[in-house]
Amino acid sequence: MKQLIARLFGTVLIIALFGVHYLLAGSEEMKGTITLSGAWAIYPTAVAWGEGFQKKYPDVKVDISAGGAGKGAADAIAGLVDIGMVSREPDPAEINKGIVPIYILHDAVFPIINAKNPARVELLRKGLKKEAFTGLYITGNYSSWDQIAGGAKKKSVHVYTRSDSCGASAAWAKYVDNKKQEDLKGVGVYGDPGLIAAVKRDPLGIGYTNFSYIFTREGTVLEGLIIVPIDVNENNIADANEVNDNREKAINAINKGTYPATRKNYFFVKGKPSQLVKLFIEYAFSEEGTRIVEEVGTSLPLTKPEREKMLQSLR
Amino acid sequence: MNRRRFKDLIVQRIMFILCCFVISILFFIVMGLFYKASPILAIHSLRDLLFSSTWHPSKGNFGLGLFIVSTLWVTAIAIVIAIPLSLLTAIYLTEYAPKRMREVLKPLIDLLAGISPVIYGVWGIIAIVPLISDYVMPFFSERLTFFPFLSDNYTGYSALAGGIVLSVMVFPIIISVIHEVLETVPFEIREASLALGATKWETTRRVVLKKARPGIVAAFILGLTRAFGETMAVLMVAGCSLHGFPKSVFDTAYPLPALIANTYGEMMSIPLYDSAVLLAAFILLLMTTLFNMVAWGILLHIERKER
Repeated sequence: MKQLIARLFGTVLIIALFGVHYLLAGSEEMKGTITLSGAWAIYPTAVAWGEGFQKKYPDVKVDISAGGAGKGAADAIAGLVDIGMVSREPDPAEINKGIVPIYILHDAVFPIINAKNPARVELLRKGLKKEAFTGLYITGNYSSWDQIAGGAKKKSVHVYTRSDSCGASAAWAKYVDNKKQEDLKGVGVYGDPGLIAAVKRDPLGIGYTNFSYIFTREGTVLEGLIIVPIDVNENNIADANEVNDNREKAINAINKGTYPATRKNYFFVKGKPSQLVKLFIEYAFSEEGTRIVEEVGTSLPLTKPEREKMLQSLR
Repeated sequence: MNRRRFKDLIVQRIMFILCCFVISILFFIVMGLFYKASPILAIHSLRDLLFSSTWHPSKGNFGLGLFIVSTLWVTAIAIVIAIPLSLLTAIYLTEYAPKRMREVLKPLIDLLAGISPVIYGVWGIIAIVPLISDYVMPFFSERLTFFPFLSDNYTGYSALAGGIVLSVMVFPIIISVIHEVLETVPFEIREASLALGATKWETTRRVVLKKARPGIVAAFILGLTRAFGETMAVLMVAGCSLHGFPKSVFDTAYPLPALIANTYGEMMSIPLYDSAVLLAAFILLLMTTLFNMVAWGILLHIERKER
């Protein structure tokens, strides 16, 4: 008899445990696959999110592929993926096709020059105004370093830009003169690493690159390159808060909103997201998700009030 | 009908169907590209699309002129470099090299043909681009200030860089074909020439090359068609700039395949963008097919004459 009671009790306990486990894991909804594709800039963070999410919900599979912002947008519009990762502003045409952009991460684009640039002393002291970048990248009014930096260095400026359509170019064109990538003048180089290599090799070169590429693991600027300070208040002096010569300072400037050439990264969702996709996005905005963004370090998380606002709109 | 006959018939039919399938793929690609490109042809005239150089999709400008001219520039440079290099190499391999050496060199050259284009691209960036910006361009910009050398692009990313990388990519093919063509020249002709007292070089120049000329031309056209379509390597070194036609070998160039590779991701968002890019693909396909057909025509003609 005693044995029977013990056995019954054991069975009930096991069933109860399963029940609790079932309740904790949630309903049937937590099974399935979430697919993402798109921007290289978001990819590393998204992969880390995917890993964290799968640990939390072992029955869910998160499939992530990279291929550029354009691919992310195209795939989301075509309904090939649940979430398109896009590192530029959504186009009105994309919204018309039923895309709901969700502002998920942000970072910035930095103008870079070679560390052996002949005008580097002047540039670091005075910085460059927006108008100088417009003159180099849009109108072509400026062609030599003395025109934009002063001094007597009458050497021509070698302007580099990206050839592949990308979020960095879109953000840079928007900052420089509210234009599109195809308006940017300059020699086109393929990819962020290509552009960095080109400027690294050319003492007279100027280019721009993403937050995630320009700093080393230790937080310093890549060797052989200088980030040109942007003279935001146009006082002809590169003030302390305008010089972003390490990662810490750059993050500060971006978060405070004093750095001008920032860009927002989006998740493109077509129509109403499914329960599972919603859960994934909520996870990305959670404290754990934010910690993951900081650990990966290629993009910056939204501030807490911003995240709460996004979560509100998601509901 | 006995079983063996039946088997034979079945095999024959299956192979016929597979053959049709393979050929129809080309047909479907052409039809698909044309169908997808037709919306833009309905709005803009073909003349505008082919000759205008303004590419600004968000403003509705889809001029492909710059890309077509760039393709021709890069290909022309590649062929100009490849002609002497590959012709002389092929002559050496066929006429002069001892048998042992030929057996070693030929596979090495064939190996070059199998290297992935991206590797050529990286090589172009680390070797050719610096070479042009540090040595070639400064040399020419001071001494030869006329067409087609006058330029203000000192970066090294240029049509010339694209052309050099392309020439290295196409010459294994050209050498292989010329080698084959030279070997079809009957040995008796060479003997006759040598017997008359001609030197080896005279024999090669006046007898062998004369006989093989159409085949050599075909070899170059085959190389040309490969150069037309090559994407990755050129894209990485040609300095794809959207502003202004290339007017010099040192200017940047933006060939058609590079345009397709760079922008295909953006096709979905802007109206007509996909049409324009697919029209570019269609034009590229037409150019390549045309040149291919000419080359095969010449090769067929030679084969027939030999029989």
